[in-house]
Formats: sequence, structure tokens, C-alpha cells
Amino acid sequence: MRTLKLLQTLLKINIQMSLAYRADTVINIFLSLVWLGWEFLSLNIIFSNTTTLGGWGIGELIVLLGVFRLVNTYMAALIWPNTEKFNASVRDGSLDYTLLQPVNSLFMVSFSRITIWRGWEVLLSGSLIVVGTRMSGSISSPLSLLTFFVLVLSGGLVLYSLWVVLIALTFWFTKFDNNVTILQALLDSGRFPATVYPAWLRIIVTFIIPIAVATTVPVQGLRGELSPAQVLGFLGISAAAFLFAMQVWQLGIKRYSGASS
Amino acid sequence: MLNIFKHFWQVNWAENWQYRANLLMYLFYWLVSPIIYMAVWTTVARSNGSVNGMTANDFIVYYMTLLVIDQLTGNITIHIFAYKIQDGTLAGELIRPVHPMLTNTLVTNLAHKALNFLAFLPIWGVLCLLFRPDYTGTPWWGPILAVPAVILGFAIGFLLSGAITCVAFWTTRVWALHEFYYSILVLFSGQFVPLQLMPGIVQQMARYLPFQLILYFPIQLTLGRLSPTEIVTGFASALVWLVVSYLLFTWTWREGVKRFSAVGA
Amino acid sequence: MPPTEPAIIVENLSKTYQVPEREAGFGAAMRSFFKRKYKDVRAVQNVSFNIQPGEIVGFLGPNGAGKTTTLKMLSGLLHPSAGKARVLGFTPWELKNTYLKSMTLVMGQRNRLSWDIPAADSFLLNQAIYRLTDDEYNATLKELDELLELGPLLKKPVRNLSLGERMKCEIAAGLLHRPKVLFLDEPTIGLDISGQLRIREFLREYNRRSGATILLTSHYMADVTALCERIVIIHQGQLKYDGGIVDLSRRIAPYKLIGVLLSDAETHNLERYGTPVDNEEDSEKRYIQVSAEDVTAVTARMLAELPVHDITITDPPIEAVIERAFNE
Repeated sequence: MRTLKLLQTLLKINIQMSLAYRADTVINIFLSLVWLGWEFLSLNIIFSNTTTLGGWGIGELIVLLGVFRLVNTYMAALIWPNTEKFNASVRDGSLDYTLLQPVNSLFMVSFSRITIWRGWEVLLSGSLIVVGTRMSGSISSPLSLLTFFVLVLSGGLVLYSLWVVLIALTFWFTKFDNNVTILQALLDSGRFPATVYPAWLRIIVTFIIPIAVATTVPVQGLRGELSPAQVLGFLGISAAAFLFAMQVWQLGIKRYSGASS
Repeated sequence: MLNIFKHFWQVNWAENWQYRANLLMYLFYWLVSPIIYMAVWTTVARSNGSVNGMTANDFIVYYMTLLVIDQLTGNITIHIFAYKIQDGTLAGELIRPVHPMLTNTLVTNLAHKALNFLAFLPIWGVLCLLFRPDYTGTPWWGPILAVPAVILGFAIGFLLSGAITCVAFWTTRVWALHEFYYSILVLFSGQFVPLQLMPGIVQQMARYLPFQLILYFPIQLTLGRLSPTEIVTGFASALVWLVVSYLLFTWTWREGVKRFSAVGA
Repeated sequence: MPPTEPAIIVENLSKTYQVPEREAGFGAAMRSFFKRKYKDVRAVQNVSFNIQPGEIVGFLGPNGAGKTTTLKMLSGLLHPSAGKARVLGFTPWELKNTYLKSMTLVMGQRNRLSWDIPAADSFLLNQAIYRLTDDEYNATLKELDELLELGPLLKKPVRNLSLGERMKCEIAAGLLHRPKVLFLDEPTIGLDISGQLRIREFLREYNRRSGATILLTSHYMADVTALCERIVIIHQGQLKYDGGIVDLSRRIAPYKLIGVLLSDAETHNLERYGTPVDNEEDSEKRYIQVSAEDVTAVTARMLAELPVHDITITDPPIEAVIERAFNE
């Protein structure tokens, strides 16, 4: 498919760009590991003082950590670099060139930059998820695993849709350079199950900036806590969010080009 | 000399005011982690009664105080200075008859702090209403003693950050170094996990490092949780570290400026 | 032969912007926070023209005249406030993919190429975007390489190229998909004389070989006189002139500026020689305006009669020419 070929080319280009910064890659891997050490220490301290947190055992917390790191990698590898590029392209006018390319503009805006070396963090996250699942033992039925994967993907889609809306706001509020900071700010809440937070914070991270939908919810699916209706509900929400985001983007482009509708 | 500071204050306040929307955003950003950890620990404390002697309220009081202390002792030096070294604009400041970091950067930090505090106080008030910390156990002399501790904590943090920022004179990797510094700071200052909950070895190491003087020591001082011996050793340690970090800073600055002038931007 | 349909048809095209208006001062800032005042800026007013396939047409006009706005509407980036346009049978601002594949826009002041990677890699991205087969792509690249002398430039990161080299690569990138219509916005801006010449030669040759229609804006008269047989002049959003170069020079009485630096302190009256004018770009010399045919004679007289320390003869700036020609 043509999109695949385009994605391939983008990957090649981004690999080349990152090769120019090899030493930085090593440093970044080191720093990632330092923070992982910190995360393990935190979990250790918490679980030497209790056996469950919000009803979840340490295995599930490790799975959650894996999902959180996956989301974090997505932010670092795709969302931040493309946000920077997009903001710059609005400022210097090179967005015009993107709009004139015979490819979906949102596709190009979403994928021009890919921080390739972060790929290893995907493996790390995967390992955390596998280890955590093993540790908690009771939750690895094929159905719950399937639910888990599907909810991880749909949670990612929700975050993607939110991102699209946030960057599209630049079309209306040109000085809105900090568009994505709010997403990053609340990201840390994904480290722990949302059930632990006071009600008002839980509402914020589930309904307003839905980090919990991408982190807590998939693990709930893995634990079999969600009814089929709830799972379908979440899938429906992510589909609706995606469609809404597409609309907002189209409106934004129209506004950028001075269409009076 | 006072005139110089007054002038810097006016300029920096005006500049910071322009960026107030960004300020709010970053304030909000900074608030999230302590709140999350506070929520986690209070949950654990409530289900177990207490953790290591700390009740749920102890945790709430700890983190609410942490928010205030962090506002007072934090610094943004690397964010406002590193780029000046990297793009050469520092040259303009070096030819002025005042030390760029000890005047301009210091005052920027203070102006930023003052502005932040304006926005922070009402938010802190709201958080108090939401979390209901019970400060009744706090002695009146706690906050008073904490004042010099906060000043020392800020000074030490500022000088150490300054020294790290000076690494920018030699390499562009200064940001990675700073992130590493931050990860150690977080570990040994009691920022996300109160020090008394850390494994013994971490607590031992923390005693010999300056980082707890930036957060943990002032917090515990405010809450009146330290024995007289601990208070005295704490302040003594702060004075020692003040001298050490001052020497470290002046040395890296001097060497850095030499290199800057030799190599150019 | 049946009459060919024009490649570009423009009918009463207009674009009006609403720009927020605000005075300086704290009071005004407070007021504008509550109630925004807007001003209408009529960037393009009722412009109409047709361009046949294969023509090279120059759009001339001072800064802010509406050239770039018109070009953006024709390339599809802007929706007009009123009027119609059809390029190659398409309505540009519908941004249909088939339209986008047959046109190109190159803006002299904006970069398309990625800064950190060699131009060759950006080209490959374009190949994927425009779905060019390897054969098509290689053939076109070879030809562009030959015409523009790209050679080793393609392997260097774009960051390391000079402005002239970068412009050549930007133009090449825009032509990889063999568009039938080229919109070029100030392609030679910032280039030195040899850079400008090279681009002009390239465009001439490219037009000859491919028959592509070229619409070029500039505020350098030389760009336009070198390349275009037809000029459209836009001033304050309105189309002031559309026709051949030869007719244009008849329309604007040609004149030159003589600048002179006198070596004595007396105030000489220069009105005997020509019309004194101010030249903002040079405050040392005193300038007079003289019709082109009289220049030699007047210069000779001045050299003979005045204590001349330095003398220059220049063309008037394009803005002045247009102001003069169309504001009388």
C-alpha cells in the first residue's frame, strides 16, 4: 500500500537523522534506565508497606508501569517531535508546503518525525508487561489478554485524538505554543491506578485529559474487571474521539486557508 | 550595588509577566507529581493505618509543605542560562561590570519565584480545601526556624545548578547531565518519597549529600519533626555545603568563562 | 488547430482580510481585550486574467501589493473572498490530489527541504509522496541535475548549503513530479547576481523543454524583464497592467537617477539639470531625476559645470516607478 511505502521512507529518513546523534542515543538510554531504577525503587518501597494498592498487587502495578512506559515512549517518540515540527511549520509558513502535498496533511503532520532509537523502550515496556502478568498469575486468560491489547490500542487512539485537537487549536489561537504541555503534565498520573486518586483528580484523568483511559483501563481489562459492555463502550469512545479529532483538524485547515464557511 | 539589583528586578519582573501564560502552564505541570504521590501514600496509609509511623495526615501535611518549600527553594537556572552560553549571547553580559549569574540570573530566579508565588498561593489554598491537611501538630517555631533553612537550601540549589549549567561551556550534553542531576536530586531530597521511607542505605547516603537540605530538611524543620541534635547537624551541614557549592560554582564558572573567551561562542 | 483552453483562468478574484486594529498604550490594550476592532484589508481586488499553457508570466509589484496573496489563491492555499479561478481545469482551493500532482509552488523565503538531512533524502520523500516510479524519478532527477548543476550538493545536509545552492535544491524538489504549472514566489530573493542569473536561465530552459506554464512573482525588475514576455503589475491589490514588456516601457516614461557628491560647500541649485528627488537609500549624494534619453547630455554638463567629487547613475527603484506610473 502506498501509505506503507511513505511510512517506510519516513522511517528511513528519521533513522538517518538519529544516526547523526549516536552518542546522545546512548546517553538517553542510560537516563531511561536510571528512571526505571527509580520506578522500581518506588514500587519496592510502596509494596514493602502494603500488599495491594487500590486493590492491585505488585504484578499488576508492573504491568501498569509497562503500559505507562509505552504511552510515555509514544509521547517522546512521536508526539513531542511532531508537535515541535508542527509549531515551527506554522510559524515559518512551511505548513503551506505540507498542505499542497497530495497526501493527507494530518498523516504527514503526525508522522514526519519519529524518534527511532526509542524503539528499545517499546521492548522494555513489553518485557515489563510480560513479567508483571507472570507475577500476578491469575489474569492471563486469552480473552483478557486480547481485551488488554485492544484497550491499549484504543487508549492510544484516544490520546492521539486529543493531541490532534490540541495542535489544531493553534489554527485559532496562534500563540498557543504550549499546546501539548498539559498532556505531558498529567502523564505521570498513569503510573498508578486511577482508583487511588481522589474523585476530582480521577475525573480529570479519565474524562478531561484521559490518561487513565490509556493506562488504568487496559490493565483493568487484563484483570477481567470490565464487562463486555464497558469494553465496547471504551472502544466506542475512542472511535468517536478519532472522528471528532478529524473534524476539528479539517475545520482548522479551512480556517487557516481563510475559507468563510 | 542595590541600584543594580533594583534595575535587574524591574527588567526581570516585566519579562516574566509577559510569559505569564506559560508560567501558569508550568506551575500546573509541576503540581501534578506531588499530588499523585500524596494520593498514593495516603491510600496506603489509610488501608494500613500508618506507614512507618506516618499516618495519612502526616503524608498530606508533608506534601502540602513540600509544595511550598519547593516553590521557595527551587531554581530555573539551567533553563534561563544554558542557551546564553550555547548561542553566544553571554558575551554581551560578560562585558558588563557585574557577574552575570550572581546578579541577572539570580534576580530572574527571584522574580520568577515571586510571580509564581502569586499564582501558587490561591491554588495551594484550594488544595488545602480539597485535601484538608491538619497542621495542628506544627510548633510555632517550626516555620521560623525554617526561614534560614530555606534561604540556605535555595542558595545551595542555585549554586549547584549554576555549576552544572557551566558544563555547557564545554559540551552541549549539559541537558543530559542536568537530567541525571535531577534524578539524583529527586532520590535524595525527599521530593517524591519522604526520606524516612527510603531504604536505610539511601538515608545514610542522603546524610552526606546536600540534596536533602533543599527540601527534606526545611520541610521537617517546619513541621517540628527534628530533634535538637538533628537541627544543629542539619544547619552545620548546610553551612558546609554552602561553602562547598560556592567554591564548586566559582571554579566551574572561572574555567568556563576562560574557555568561552578563548573559543568564542 | 482548435483553440487551446487557457491553463489559468482568473475572474474577478478578490481577497479581503480582517485585521485586528489596536493602538499602543495600556488603555487601548485593556479596551481591545474586551472589544476587538477590525479593519478590512483588501489584499486583492477584482483581478482577472488568463494565461495560456507554456507562457511565462511575471507578476510585478511592490511589497504588500497582493502578488503573494494571488499566488496563494491560485495554488489553493487560500480561499478567495469573491471571484473564480481555474487552473488546469481545477478549482485550486479544493486541493484535489490530481490538481496537487500537476502543479508546484516554490516560495523563495520558505524552506521545504528538511534542514538536517541531505537534499537527496528529501527528494526521496517527494518520490514517495508523489508516487513516482523509480524510472520516472531517476529520469527527472538526471535532467534537473544537468540543468541546475546540482552534483555534489545533493549529498550535503541542507544546513551546510549556501543560499544559492539551497534555492537550486528547493526548486529541483518542486519539479520532481513534472508539474504542468509552476508558481514561483520570489525565487531569486537574497541571491547574488550570478545566483539570480542561473535561476533565470534554468527557468527559461525548463519552460522550453517541458512547455510548463510559469507564473513568477518578484520585486526585482530584472527577473521579470529577463524571463517574461508578459507582465502583470499588481499595485495595492489591483491589476494595473497586463501586457508585453515592450508596451510597458512605452507606458512608463523611462528615466534614471543621477546622484552627485559635490566637493565644495556651496549650495548649488540642481534644478537646471533635472528634478531633485530624495533617495532614501543614499543620503550622502544629492539626486536628480532625468529622462533616459537626456542622461548622457546632462551628465556631461554636470561634470563640466559643477565641482563633482563622485557621480552615480542608477535605475529608480521599482516602487517609485510604479507609484509614478499608476498614481498620476
